[in-house]
Amino acid sequence: MLAPLKRLYKNTVFRLSMIAAGLFAMSSLIVLGYIYFATVVSDLNRVDKAMELEIEELTQIYETQGPSFLNQIIFGRAAPKGASDFDNNTFYLFEFYDEKGNAYGGGNLPAKRFFADPEKTPFWKKIPGLKNNNSREFDYVAATSEDGVKTIRRARGRLKEFLPSGTKLFIGKDVENIMAAGEKVTRALLISMALAISLGLISGIYMSRRFARRIGAFNKLATDVRAGDLKRRVPRNESGDELDVLAEHLNSMLDHIDTLMTAMRYAGDSIAHDLRSPLTRLHTRLETAGSEVKDEVAREALYKASDDAGELLRTFEGVLRIARLEAGERREILVPLDPSLVLEDIAELYEPSCEDAGLEFALEIEGKHTIRADRGLLSQAVSNLVENAIKYTPRGGAITLRLRKISSGRVEISITDTGQGIRPKDRDRVKERFVRLEASRTAPGSGLGLALVDAVADLHQAEFELSDGPGGESSDRPGLRVALIFPRIKRAK
Amino acid sequence: MRILVVEDDEVAAEYVRKGLMEEGHVVDLAGDGELGLEMAKAADYDALVLDRMLPKRDGLSLLKELRADGDKTPVLILSALGEVDQKVEGLRAGGDDYLAKPYSFAELLARVEAMGRRSDPTAAVTKLKTGDLEMDLLARTVKRGDQKILLQPREFRLLECLMRHAGKVVTRTMLLEKVWDYHFDPQTNVIDVHISRLRAKIDKEFDTPMLHTVRGAGYRLQV
Repeated sequence: MLAPLKRLYKNTVFRLSMIAAGLFAMSSLIVLGYIYFATVVSDLNRVDKAMELEIEELTQIYETQGPSFLNQIIFGRAAPKGASDFDNNTFYLFEFYDEKGNAYGGGNLPAKRFFADPEKTPFWKKIPGLKNNNSREFDYVAATSEDGVKTIRRARGRLKEFLPSGTKLFIGKDVENIMAAGEKVTRALLISMALAISLGLISGIYMSRRFARRIGAFNKLATDVRAGDLKRRVPRNESGDELDVLAEHLNSMLDHIDTLMTAMRYAGDSIAHDLRSPLTRLHTRLETAGSEVKDEVAREALYKASDDAGELLRTFEGVLRIARLEAGERREILVPLDPSLVLEDIAELYEPSCEDAGLEFALEIEGKHTIRADRGLLSQAVSNLVENAIKYTPRGGAITLRLRKISSGRVEISITDTGQGIRPKDRDRVKERFVRLEASRTAPGSGLGLALVDAVADLHQAEFELSDGPGGESSDRPGLRVALIFPRIKRAK
Repeated sequence: MRILVVEDDEVAAEYVRKGLMEEGHVVDLAGDGELGLEMAKAADYDALVLDRMLPKRDGLSLLKELRADGDKTPVLILSALGEVDQKVEGLRAGGDDYLAKPYSFAELLARVEAMGRRSDPTAAVTKLKTGDLEMDLLARTVKRGDQKILLQPREFRLLECLMRHAGKVVTRTMLLEKVWDYHFDPQTNVIDVHISRLRAKIDKEFDTPMLHTVRGAGYRLQV
């Protein structure tokens, strides 16, 4: 449940539509506030204003004609106008005080029946000074049916105190219709907002999945191209939208790269054809001349020159071989095979060389495994690694070639020696072409061995790792452990 | 041997022709596929050196046509496309050996000469003999004179390969291909190490050495 949500949240479009929904909710709240203000609040203000005007008028009457006349006026105004005309209902409530300071009711309605439930009125609605603690906003009982069901309506009120007698006048007006209209608008807006947000959410999910699919096509293309399939293109929907334009640009970019690669390969082949052939002839001619010449010094010189030409040729061939491997065109040559057979052959080939170099050689094969590989390329890679180990391990050392299964079904081929090792900072660098470390400058070699292993590993989708050998990090001769880790073989489709 | 070289690159063709003639072979040249096919059909050659990429008719199609005709002349395919899968393709089309450009002449010579004898029916051979060195292919034993020589399986195959081509140069690359089935060149002298082990077994206690190193080319087993 959580994982798909997390994945959804990672989707850019989904996140964008979430933000859009949030912004929408916020702006609807603002609109809602405005509408509420424009309808309800202004109407309430109008009611308040009317009450204040009335209080002013009644005050004048009280001051000029006295309380009993005011009482008469009020009773006149408060004559019932019928239950249907609540809007124009005005309630009047007097609190007159006797000599002892006790209040007694007055006005057009008795207080106790009038106010719905003083106990339940929240404190902020209460007006201090009015004895029964009622407030500017209050509920009142508009009618009581025969079986005792009360109709409660909302109202607003104002309090006026006539000094010096202390007589208080409270007037109120029914605002139920205004409040109800406001609530109706608010409810409608809230529901539409909720609808809009949930629709936004659904379309966000839909859009983001659609978008994820299209982006997925781009990502798939990128991985395929990286794996060497330069012929792949992004499918287009011809809609001309940004993604479609991006696809078009990517495709034309790939076309261009493909053309360049073809041109480069052609140039490479041309070089192979035009340069390697004369170089080979040079090599052979020097060799032939060397074997025919009688003079000892001249023969030696010719042989040396011929060896140099041979070295050049080998380097050249190595570079082209790596380039061809890196182009990754030959992944289809990989077949399931048992690597132990390859390792046994290599071990058999190099055992005498190890013995001559004064090295102990061991082949350790743990279990039976199958990997997808090309026998020739794998043999060459392992042979390069074993040759390196022989070259850089001093007499008396040991070389171990090992095959084993490691975690999650992957198969590891490792070559461990007790030589100088390679410092961690150099370990990535040595996999590049022509990189030779200071310590090995004087040893023969072209600096292509590990680059070729790297290219072979890449073609096999294998990891190529260098680490310290059995000597350990702190030792001054840590040794080197080189591992090729092959992915778990997938069942044929 | 009478050899037909089908190669469009005139410089390369001339180079091969001169080299082979110096070794005492008779060489004819053909500059394109059509002419090559015509000449191969017209005369009885001991071996064909065939470039893969030719004008008018490519090497593989020429070879297929020739084989369809029942012609069993050994064919060495030359190609700039030196990868193993190309090689397989070439051999499947009926080629007897495959050599990637650039090749050294010594390599080409050794292969052509090795191939020329392949047309002899050697399949039924159960015993090989070079001088006083004898190999029993069925019993898998080796004798020199009266003395039995014990060989490791790989040493046996190495010696077998050398004896089959006795008197002729066998290159390191050929040994790697035929004995180990490897199609790459190791950077070190790993073949020399194996040869010197073999030499220690077959030559050391005898007066005349048989296993010779030919500088710049390879090895030769000779009386």
